[in-house]
Amino acid sequence: MKRSWAACLCLFVFLSAIMASSVRAEHEEVAQTPAPIRFGLTAVVVRENLRFLDQWAYYLSEKMGQPVEFVRRRSYREVMDMLESGSLDFAWICGFPFVQNRDPEFIKLLSVPVYKGRPLYHSFIIVHKDSPHQSIDDLKGENFAYSDPESNSGYLYPQYLLAQKGTNKEAFFRQTFFTFNHSETVEAVAEQFADGAAVDSYIWEYMKEFRPELADKTRVINQSPAFGFPPLVSRLGVDLETVWHMKRVILAMKDDPDGRKFLDGLKLDSFGESSPSLFDNIREMALKTRSTQPRGDFSASNQSVGTAIKE
Amino acid sequence: MTWLNIFPKGLALKFALTITAVVAGVAFTIGAVIITLDWQRFQLELENKALLLAHSVATTAPENILQSDYWSLYKSLKNMTRQVPEGMANTHILTGMVLDPDGIVLAHLDTNNNPLGKPPAHSGNNETRLFTASREVRSPAILKSGIGKNGFLEGVAPIYSDEKLLGIVRVRLSYRELYLKAQRSAFVIIGLTLALVALGSLLGAAISRRITKPLTAMTEGMEAVGRGELSNIEPISVSNDDELGILASTFNRMAKEMVEKKTLEEQIAVSEKMVALGRITAGVAHEVNNPLAGLMNCIDTLKKHPDDPELVERYLPLLDKGLNRIKNIVESLLIELRIEEAHGTGSSTSLDDLRDIVVSEINGRDIDFVWDNHLGDDVMINRRRVQQIVLNLLKNSIQALGEKGTVVFRTFQDDNCIILEVTDDGPGISPEYKNQLFEPFFTTKQNGTGLGLWIVYRLVESMRGVIEVESEVGNGTQFQVTLPAMEMST
Repeated sequence: MKRSWAACLCLFVFLSAIMASSVRAEHEEVAQTPAPIRFGLTAVVVRENLRFLDQWAYYLSEKMGQPVEFVRRRSYREVMDMLESGSLDFAWICGFPFVQNRDPEFIKLLSVPVYKGRPLYHSFIIVHKDSPHQSIDDLKGENFAYSDPESNSGYLYPQYLLAQKGTNKEAFFRQTFFTFNHSETVEAVAEQFADGAAVDSYIWEYMKEFRPELADKTRVINQSPAFGFPPLVSRLGVDLETVWHMKRVILAMKDDPDGRKFLDGLKLDSFGESSPSLFDNIREMALKTRSTQPRGDFSASNQSVGTAIKE
Repeated sequence: MTWLNIFPKGLALKFALTITAVVAGVAFTIGAVIITLDWQRFQLELENKALLLAHSVATTAPENILQSDYWSLYKSLKNMTRQVPEGMANTHILTGMVLDPDGIVLAHLDTNNNPLGKPPAHSGNNETRLFTASREVRSPAILKSGIGKNGFLEGVAPIYSDEKLLGIVRVRLSYRELYLKAQRSAFVIIGLTLALVALGSLLGAAISRRITKPLTAMTEGMEAVGRGELSNIEPISVSNDDELGILASTFNRMAKEMVEKKTLEEQIAVSEKMVALGRITAGVAHEVNNPLAGLMNCIDTLKKHPDDPELVERYLPLLDKGLNRIKNIVESLLIELRIEEAHGTGSSTSLDDLRDIVVSEINGRDIDFVWDNHLGDDVMINRRRVQQIVLNLLKNSIQALGEKGTVVFRTFQDDNCIILEVTDDGPGISPEYKNQLFEPFFTTKQNGTGLGLWIVYRLVESMRGVIEVESEVGNGTQFQVTLPAMEMST
């Protein structure tokens, strides 16, 4: 009994690590090349669909002529750290980490997904559908769920809203916590564990379609201005040939029948090219928020359950 | 009899009931013990489950609590209580929660009523009691509430990190499944118990029949013996070597011996009859033969001397006397036959007719004759038979007295009996003759036929009466006849 519990626990805790290793194991069988391209992901994309990621990785491997594996991590901080340390070659990150100052710079914009015709998305403030709250002001003294401390839509935007109001961000909500996963943020609100939450509009709409039993229990009370869609980036250390090759493959997905299937699965129009200035409003928002509250000290380890957060 | 075999009575019923009662008692006791033990075992199992769940949540909780990762805390609470391991699938988890040391909700399965960061909603004394008790728990413990279908228990485990109390896990498990499980096993046990009782009853009935069958057969046999139907006793089947078997075989042996004895007795009776008949025949032959020899002799002499008037004169009275004697004997025998067929009844005063006959029998001898008839006019008697009995007894006494003495006749009614008494003060009867007193042709007198008392005996016997003799040599004799009054009319 105890052992099976322990097994459950392990599975639950080290989910991402196990998934990553399984993906790696499969590609070592497919191609014998010893150095696969490592593509970092967080829970921005729908995380439950493991088979989808396997197939996409396989597709990219085919197109790249060398193995590509997706490396999943719980938080953006972890992905950023891995990019910096060189253990990832590419990553799908968020606009907020993208606009943060890095010295020296170690990432470069690769592509921005096109969603509903534009490389843009929003942050939604959601509440339970039965909740009486109509605005973020009504949520004062309630529980609030953030997704990731480096998520634009799931953390920066609500923080910015509170900063704009001039209220004490710490005292505004009764309790706050991070889910590190937009879909779980929706779930927390649907189950009334959180009274309100900030969530990625793309994920929320995706869930409206694929997991309506959760999303339909929530209601949007606030929509942010349009922000640049979470971008794909390459590490600066990766050789240009691979970067260009990857960029071509990613951009060409919309014209390829198989690539089209993956885009359809992700509910995206395409992976397009955009200027880094697309994310300027996020940078501006980050600056305005930060000026009122110094960012906390986030530390992360590869396999910890929760990133230690001091609020 | 068949009815008896189908429905046991008496001992058989008692046996069956006793065995049934014993079986029922044992079965119900064992059943109750099993049900109690079962309930305790189930309860212990449930307690262990609750403790295990609470402990499991408490083990993973510290990091989540320290990092304010309430979502993960909630998820682990939810997952652990949802994904119950194999063998615990029937556990019904009512609710679960993680509270901080101040009793504030950190995670609660019922999120709607128990929001994060507030004390849990506890309505009612019971909830308040549990809440207060759980907050004092410092090592894994069980809290109970109620019993039966709606009762529940809580596994409570404190959450420690580096010896600092971070919170408390409460997992509430319903007794419902436990109750239903116990109920199911109770039904099974009760069913089994009833089956055992039924089986015990059948067994009891079978055993009791097995035991009482020979007893019943013996009873029937003994009843048959009582009725004198010895030939109807069928041997009881002896099926075992036990006490009953021994009893049955003993009874069989006894019955067989009784049958043999009866046969023997019958044979003896027949031979005795033959002896008696032979004695009568011999008596008749002897008594008739004696005068016959004299008569033949007389006739021979008269034939030789037909013209001798002196001889005729001398022999004719002898012939007459001899023929009279034969006539008397034959008459006596005939009297008996006639009287046996006589059924005429009459008043008891008809006895008084006998006085004159007896007086003439005394014939002037010095004999006092006392006649004492106490029977009322309304007492009816069988006239001919009673007259013959009284006459014969009086004649017997008068003859026994000889020339002098006293004879008393007395008769009276005693309850339903008529008593006839004839007493004399004659020489009495010597003991060696007493046994032969009523035998035919037994006589101690010169001219007696030996039939008088025999006839009395036969008549008394035919009227289902009793005749008793009291006699002492030198002190006289008393005959007492007791006749049932109801027999008088026949």
